[in-house]
Amino acid sequence: MTFLLRIGIAASLAVSAASHSYLYIHGYHYIPTIGTAFLIQASISFAVAVLIVLGGPGWLRWVAAAVAGGSLVAFILSRTVGLFGFSERGWDPSPHAAITVGAEVLTVLLWAGALVKWPRPAGLASPSSISPTSVTERR
Amino acid sequence: MTQDPHAMSRRQLIRHTAWFGAAVGLAVAGGEVISHVAGAASAERAAVRPTVRFAQISDSHIGFTGSANPDVAGTFGHAIDRINNLGYTPDFVIHTGDLTHLSSSDQFDQVKQMMSKLQTPHVFTVPGEHDSVDDAGQKYRSVFGAGTRGDGWYSFDIAGVHVIALVNTLNLKKLGHLGVEQLEFVEKDVARLSSDTPIIVFSHIPLFAMYPDWGWGTDDATQALSYLSRFSSVTCLNGHVHQLFSKTEGNVTFYSGRTTAYPLPHPGDGPAPKPVTLPAGKLGDALGIREVSYTKGQNALALKERPLQ
Repeated sequence: MTFLLRIGIAASLAVSAASHSYLYIHGYHYIPTIGTAFLIQASISFAVAVLIVLGGPGWLRWVAAAVAGGSLVAFILSRTVGLFGFSERGWDPSPHAAITVGAEVLTVLLWAGALVKWPRPAGLASPSSISPTSVTERR
Repeated sequence: MTQDPHAMSRRQLIRHTAWFGAAVGLAVAGGEVISHVAGAASAERAAVRPTVRFAQISDSHIGFTGSANPDVAGTFGHAIDRINNLGYTPDFVIHTGDLTHLSSSDQFDQVKQMMSKLQTPHVFTVPGEHDSVDDAGQKYRSVFGAGTRGDGWYSFDIAGVHVIALVNTLNLKKLGHLGVEQLEFVEKDVARLSSDTPIIVFSHIPLFAMYPDWGWGTDDATQALSYLSRFSSVTCLNGHVHQLFSKTEGNVTFYSGRTTAYPLPHPGDGPAPKPVTLPAGKLGDALGIREVSYTKGQNALALKERPLQ
């Protein structure tokens, strides 16, 4: 379960990074502040996604959630009050806005899912849950 | 002495530090790669000379006196110098309105004389509301209105790009207004164009609802923009708000430009858009000009903001 969640977080983060990179390369780097923010978002997301796949520590998932959550907040601001003098409407640029938001929501959900202590199916126990005491008792 | 079970061992600390270092390293490397790709794409476009290159200058408010900028003529002259030192000759320069502060003949003479120093084949203008104080823009048109239609609107083609200059500062109530006659002009003007023609629209007041409470919008712009909806690339450049702002709506991108005179507050920041006096030495950051280039085959125009600092 943890492995799948990790892969899911990394994949969704990579999709968001790819989308931000594409937009940065195709015009957004001309937009003051927003262009730089897109570049930083994409590079951090790529790095974190790679390290999560490689089995990095748990705090990387928190970074992933923070980057994805922050990007979602920035998306909402850009559709409402504006962000650094930049605003966009609806799901423009299509389809990148929708893809990015979908990926970021997924990242946050998977991160939250990874925090939940999932009940294990009956009869299965992880090695760490078997303490020396319980082994003795079974004997 | 018992050890805190949550304490990190030295080995763990080293491991976490290594992961953190890897994250920073990868992020920097990734950023380098992305910006290199973007740079290469730009260089590829730059290798081919842009189809059109021009500069936007706005809101010079010649004649303004106040602590927000005690020398608007000086900063406007500085802006003209910036344009003359871009390293190339722009195909044209557009002034997006409020050339003068009070529309007096002296102010129009001064701004015209100063703009004659611009090293470019063509200088275009659109009027701001400060250019039509009390005379519905008559003095403005007598100085800058040659070759325009109606109340000063016009269009022209340059290297396959269609440029439309609109007047939305006359008949002001609260918001900018184009009026029936001008809307008909836009409709007829673009009717003959193929949908892949890049369109650039200049106006003083934004054609998008930037902050209607302060009049930062145009009440009948939606009608004008509906005539442009079939075009794949539409870029609207405006002044009036004295600050950078950009917005995209479908195929249309709007860019508000800096002023050469004095900054105004951000939308809703305070009761009204009054000139803002910045701390000493900070004014140059708030003022500026804009370089714009369009390369055939690209949908988006490339903008470079140049502060006067």
